[in-house]
Amino acid sequence: MSEKKSIFGEFSKGILAENPVLRLVLGTCPTLATTTSVSSAVGMGAAASVVLVCSNIAISALRKVIPEKVRIPAYIVIIASFVTIVQMLVKAFLPELDESLGVYLPLIVVNCIILGRAEAFAGKNPVLASAADGLGMGVGFTAALFAMGAVREILGAGSFLGMSIPFLAENPMLIFILPPGGFFVFGMLMAVVNRLAEKRGKPRAELRGCEACPMAATCTLEAHEKGKNKSEKQCASEEGTN
Amino acid sequence: MKLSPKEILIPAAALLMICIVATTLLALTNSVTAQKIADMAAEKEIASRRVVLPDAASFGEQQSYETLNYCAALDSAGAEIGMVFTAAAKGYGGDVTVMVGIGADGKVTGIEILSHDETPGLGANSTKPEFKNRFVGKSGVLTVSKTSNEGQNVQAITAATITSKAVTSAVNEALSAYAAIKGGVSE
Amino acid sequence: MEMTKELLAILLTAILTQNFVLSKFLGICPFLGVSKKLNTAVGMSAAVIFVMALATAATYPINLLLVQNDLAYLQTIVFILVIAALVQLVEIILKKYMPALYGALGIYLPLITTNCAVLGVVILNVDNGYGFAQSMFNSVGAGLGFMLAMVMFAGVRERLESCDVPKFMRGLPITLVAASLVSVSFLGFTGIVETIFG
Repeated sequence: MSEKKSIFGEFSKGILAENPVLRLVLGTCPTLATTTSVSSAVGMGAAASVVLVCSNIAISALRKVIPEKVRIPAYIVIIASFVTIVQMLVKAFLPELDESLGVYLPLIVVNCIILGRAEAFAGKNPVLASAADGLGMGVGFTAALFAMGAVREILGAGSFLGMSIPFLAENPMLIFILPPGGFFVFGMLMAVVNRLAEKRGKPRAELRGCEACPMAATCTLEAHEKGKNKSEKQCASEEGTN
Repeated sequence: MKLSPKEILIPAAALLMICIVATTLLALTNSVTAQKIADMAAEKEIASRRVVLPDAASFGEQQSYETLNYCAALDSAGAEIGMVFTAAAKGYGGDVTVMVGIGADGKVTGIEILSHDETPGLGANSTKPEFKNRFVGKSGVLTVSKTSNEGQNVQAITAATITSKAVTSAVNEALSAYAAIKGGVSE
Repeated sequence: MEMTKELLAILLTAILTQNFVLSKFLGICPFLGVSKKLNTAVGMSAAVIFVMALATAATYPINLLLVQNDLAYLQTIVFILVIAALVQLVEIILKKYMPALYGALGIYLPLITTNCAVLGVVILNVDNGYGFAQSMFNSVGAGLGFMLAMVMFAGVRERLESCDVPKFMRGLPITLVAASLVSVSFLGFTGIVETIFG
């Protein structure tokens, strides 16, 4: 496979085959919380994508410098810095987006997608491929949020991007923009995506609990449940980190 | 478990370096954006004052009365034609901050919701003009009503009584502060 | 009296009307991932309450320091590092001196470092301009609310196991729809705090 093609592959896998929200079931918190309208959903997607691409590039560039032992804290520092930069820029230039995202903007730091990509991809791959991977995942994340936001805003507020839709605007189904509507729309979206995946002979997206979590490698819950004790060494290796 | 100094020092130094670089970057971004953010806030404040008291040509110094901030509204000749208050009250999702313009006759000239954390589609409808205009021309102690907007009643937003009550109580606070300040001045 | 009333109102709001999981969508990953069994749900939530309270107690003075030195823009980065360090430290201390407690909570601790509920509650305390007592009540309330949601949902899921669910809804979709219904039930608390303390 040529170099160019494989980079495009890294980019495109995040959009459909490995969509972070709909296939890997990561980043569920912002998916539910910021999709009450299309504009805040896309805003969240864009902000997270910028952080994802920047942190992927930085982590990939530094992958040979960062010692294995302090890997996770180093990733967290890098991600948190980019999140803060994005936060300051949004506050300065898009105050309305800052208002609608509120606490969820700084919380991009703990978005599992970003730390997950750092751990699974950027820490092991060259810069260009990592950038493509980050961009693809970001676009996939934004697309999933857009779908959620569109359904919820159209049904719940009777508008699309703030433009009201005749009939629906007079009879909005408020429940869709309330918290229960978030869970419900996400559930239905997952059902549709699973159905489509099954038709193509692919496995259904399942919540794999701990395996999907980027902290899985350092986590002791899994090991505990399997009756093994691998925690000893890993805990000790994290001691020197902070 | 034994750790040689090297095994501790190198990772610690690497992490320290990353932290230093990150902090420097943040400080740089902050120095660029901080002024801009402050300017935006000030601009928004002035723009909101113009919305709640459109007749005013300029505004006096910001002062405070109990927990409220207020400033005098002046016409082009520099005479006082009213006051603009900023008051907050507990809504459904947290504090609702309301800017209230009060004319020289003691009646509300307009209100603006500065910040809120209310439910989109319900309490957030308080930012719509239909609701804000219900306060224009009112004075005295206002009460929230589900059906009428006559006299001292303010008609609540459908399905968002708590938010309506919060906004109304902020407006009441501003009205009573205005009366108290005016009472003090005329003595 | 006024103070107690306010603190109780903050506590009840955090548990019921502004439930962290069901209305603020913070901590969704453990809510969906670790709620299959009741005892795991209880253990996880207990660890979350513990870490939330500790993190709030630790970050409150640090935030004062940051604000005093005009370094408020470092909040996010400092908070996440403090939480991560704190979790590690607690794990080591518990392991050494309180093995019984470690046995009950220890395995959940590493999971909590990147739990958005913990960072979320700390940032919300700062955003709301809460004092120390208010912050602590809000954090404990948020943790208790998390526990309530987890325990309720674990009960729902245990029943769901034995249900005949349409094929396309099996797994994650039906879990989310069940969460939606639990969330509807919490909408019933609307206004309750204002009515009690109003």
